[in-house]
Amino acid sequence: MIELLAQAPPPPSFWNRPPYSPELYVMVIGTIILGLALFFGLTYAPTRLKRPIVMTFTFLSGLFYVLLWLVPTPLKPKEPGELPLNPVDAAGIWFSDALPRVADVAQILSAFLLGLGIFSLLTIHIRKINRKQTDWGFSIVLLVSMVLMLGFGYADWIMKEFRDPLGLLQDSSNWTFVNQMSDLLFDGILQQMDAAMFSLIAFYILSAAYRAFRVRSVESTVLMASALILMLSLMGGVAYAWGQGIDALVIGTGNEFLNNLKITEVANWLRTNMQAPAIRAIEFGVGLGALAMGIRIWLGLERGGVSA
Amino acid sequence: MNWSKLQNVDRRVLYVILLVATSLGLFLPSRIPNDPEPAAKDLYALLMQLPEDKPVIIQSDWTNSTRGETMGHLEALCRILMSRRIKFVIYATADAQAGQVALNVIRQINEERKKAGLVTYREGVDYIYLGVFPNAEGAGQNMRNDIRKAWGTRQTKVDGQAGRVPVFDTAVLRNMRSVSDASLMVVITASATIDVAVQRLSDKVTMACMSTGVVAPSLLPFYQAGQLKGFAGGLRGAYDMEYMMAHGINYSPTPGQEPKVTAEKFGEIPPVPEGKSFERAARYFGTLHIALTLLILAVVMGNVGMFVAKKKAKGGNN
Repeated sequence: MIELLAQAPPPPSFWNRPPYSPELYVMVIGTIILGLALFFGLTYAPTRLKRPIVMTFTFLSGLFYVLLWLVPTPLKPKEPGELPLNPVDAAGIWFSDALPRVADVAQILSAFLLGLGIFSLLTIHIRKINRKQTDWGFSIVLLVSMVLMLGFGYADWIMKEFRDPLGLLQDSSNWTFVNQMSDLLFDGILQQMDAAMFSLIAFYILSAAYRAFRVRSVESTVLMASALILMLSLMGGVAYAWGQGIDALVIGTGNEFLNNLKITEVANWLRTNMQAPAIRAIEFGVGLGALAMGIRIWLGLERGGVSA
Repeated sequence: MNWSKLQNVDRRVLYVILLVATSLGLFLPSRIPNDPEPAAKDLYALLMQLPEDKPVIIQSDWTNSTRGETMGHLEALCRILMSRRIKFVIYATADAQAGQVALNVIRQINEERKKAGLVTYREGVDYIYLGVFPNAEGAGQNMRNDIRKAWGTRQTKVDGQAGRVPVFDTAVLRNMRSVSDASLMVVITASATIDVAVQRLSDKVTMACMSTGVVAPSLLPFYQAGQLKGFAGGLRGAYDMEYMMAHGINYSPTPGQEPKVTAEKFGEIPPVPEGKSFERAARYFGTLHIALTLLILAVVMGNVGMFVAKKKAKGGNN
């Protein structure tokens, strides 16, 4: 019975109309028209109104999550279509039903950032090529790479998702030219360049540690000793050999206290009693700061958060 | 010899030494003896004791920039789950590339298993890829509220069938009514997405993490508080997992033989029953030893040079 209920479609609500129903289509069309009107309306809004508009939207968006947190979450209905017990219960159900849609909006808005990035990239580099500015050749390489990646990426996705019911393309030995090109561009070039760029950090870390890690004070000595112990503990082979040595010493002397001198034990003590409390303290500070900043942005007190 | 010169070695010399030394690491033996970290032991024991009839949720938030660590993590996790026939659902947050990178890992492990004559994992049957959720906070809050509504609009291909079906119509998620119905949620991350996930979901589902070495220290408060039941941090964590996949915990292949990995809090946890164990992390672990040794030597060298220079200066003043 429980499994059957799990398969049942969720009960219709303001946020969830029956699939393929006329009212759903009306709501979809109405939302598109409203969205477009809002979009173009905002474009033509006078400059002095832009800040209050942004502030209002920010406040309403934040208000939803504040109310969601404040209004008690209702228990799941025991039977489908069970009515709320009181207005608070009704409000709780409404917020609970609205959350997936609000979260969808947040997902879509975040995804729009990607589109905005592409638009910005195209604008800048096409202008650079047109005006033949310095290094405009690199802009051509960037745009060609982008078009190739998009073209082969989408072709590969369509083939794998819609034209391969038997899942043959899950095996790279069955790949066509399109699949191979997509893999070469994404995994063979882009991802490898990504890894190569990141690996350059090792050179800078070595150089920086060599130049800056000097024992000039008590604090820097403590810091260096801790770093040395933690680095040794990361070297599994060293930690293991050290541990074996301590084990032999414990057997030889019968003094079990020596077990505490294993590099893994000392490193764990440092992590547990020094590192973790320090991180926790920092996290508390960051949390309080984020809360204060969140309230300021929500209430429109922070100019940076709501500048139009 | 002028020891004070040790504190002013040209950085290009250091770069060449690093390049040569880390390349030498590729020739080191890949089976370095090890004593895994307690948090990694907890994670391995947890994975090996999961029930087979409940799915695992994997949030994969990394790309190839950190593949030395996180790719080893995902590979180890997939190998363990596949060897135990545990179904899983995987998605990414924040980084648009993360999903494709994770899918590539699953495909490569499937190909490796096919070559070895082992059962492969089929999309929509044994695992589901949900795609990318660009807003991690919204996705986490939504999953907490009602997972059926959070993922209800997502569809998947089912291997052997034409078209796409809603994810909750598949064998992987059919019985999942809330996020608590998953046996475990593992976040593999190279960033702070673990904070977002823990804040929203750790009281609803058992959570664990596999992260880069940089993120690992920030997991300690969550681990100590019990919000994370185990974690594997950095390349060391990935090697810990591979080491336990090969040797188990408190496990002796022959009676009377000492177990390679011991932990008082667990009984006998066997190694993975099939497939590879030592792989990517084992290949890189030797290089990590060399790189860290070099780092320690460089710091020592710089300090020796500084002390000698100071001593000389004092002597000159006298």
